[in-house]
Amino acid sequence: MNFESCFRLLAERLKDEIVVTSAGNCSELWWQITGETERVFYLEASMSLASVFAAGIALGAAERTVVAFSGDGAFCMNPGMLLVERQLALPNLKHFMVANGCYGSTNDLAHPFGELADYAGMAKAAGIERVYEFSTVAGLAQGLDEMLRDPGYAFAVLHVEPLGRHLPSPPLDGPEVKFRFGRYLERTGGRPVFDTLLHRQ
Amino acid sequence: MRRWQSEGRSRILWAHQRAICGEQSRGQMTDSSNVKNGADAVAQRIVDAAAACGITLVASLPDGWITALITRFAGDSRFRHVAVNREESAIGLCSGAFLGGIGAFALMGASGFLTCIYALTKINYTYQIPLLIGITLRGRPGDGAKFHQSNGLYLEPVIAAIGMPFVPIERSGDIARLAAAHRHSRVMSRPVVVGFTREVLRGEA
Repeated sequence: MNFESCFRLLAERLKDEIVVTSAGNCSELWWQITGETERVFYLEASMSLASVFAAGIALGAAERTVVAFSGDGAFCMNPGMLLVERQLALPNLKHFMVANGCYGSTNDLAHPFGELADYAGMAKAAGIERVYEFSTVAGLAQGLDEMLRDPGYAFAVLHVEPLGRHLPSPPLDGPEVKFRFGRYLERTGGRPVFDTLLHRQ
Repeated sequence: MRRWQSEGRSRILWAHQRAICGEQSRGQMTDSSNVKNGADAVAQRIVDAAAACGITLVASLPDGWITALITRFAGDSRFRHVAVNREESAIGLCSGAFLGGIGAFALMGASGFLTCIYALTKINYTYQIPLLIGITLRGRPGDGAKFHQSNGLYLEPVIAAIGMPFVPIERSGDIARLAAAHRHSRVMSRPVVVGFTREVLRGEA
């Protein structure tokens, strides 16, 4: 499916969820479509850690749904992430892996891994019960609500075409992303992030 | 699901205990029962110090020196212990937990720490996310493992090279410094690493 159409649909549907985007296309496209700076953590330096980072957030924000976006390049660096996510089994974590068959952050340089491996099959083999695979926008539109609303950790493979262009990164420095995101969580009923008492010796 | 998690924890505990017993059976510890008691007592002190800091999440990947410590964390209901697939995952998970308002401790061996330079500099330094990291000080004089001598040569210089505050825990009295290290991490919004010597972890210092 078309990458941008896929993300436009997701941006339309994901209105209340906490979102963590990985480096490259995911962060750039989400920023271009939404311009959001509060409930989104643009983890532009992630190299396979976006979903476990999101899992840490989900641990503390049990009442919120946390959506993590990672790329297939990152996934291939660290497929063991599935075992950690399976072990955690966080009911409020939904992991979307964008399979575009290339490294989107480095000029869409192709990689062969998607032709060699069945990503959804790998997730099932890791013991994940709720695994989804979407190859069309219509299919995603139909299955997305179930994936998001049914309780339980879920993993989805989004088969998309390469974006074919390089978009600007969100114009936010790291600490700004941290403070905007953390203050948003605090303001919307989350645990204190920055205002916790610092224990004294 | 709950049942699986419970079984998973039991398997982890069993594996850690097997690792400890395995070391003993290979004769690497000449005074095994004393060492085990000493290691257990120290492990308990470290666990209590972590709890006093407000830490409730521990993500670990083992080193032979910290199996007793990991077992303590895994068996203590004050913590959620997560056995990660690689050390970088501990950095990612614990960094996210900070934003979830959870106190976290990433525990690993020296070699594993050296694999985390990317994650630490890109995630924790870029976004200024505090994190308490515990490592073993492998490769110091007294460590008989030849394959850890590279840590003796490069571990502390690498920590210094990335400007990360380093708190060595060389005597049992130093365990109290965990609180200062944790607090310093929060104050400076950067990771702080505490390094445990073999002697401390065995209850001999």
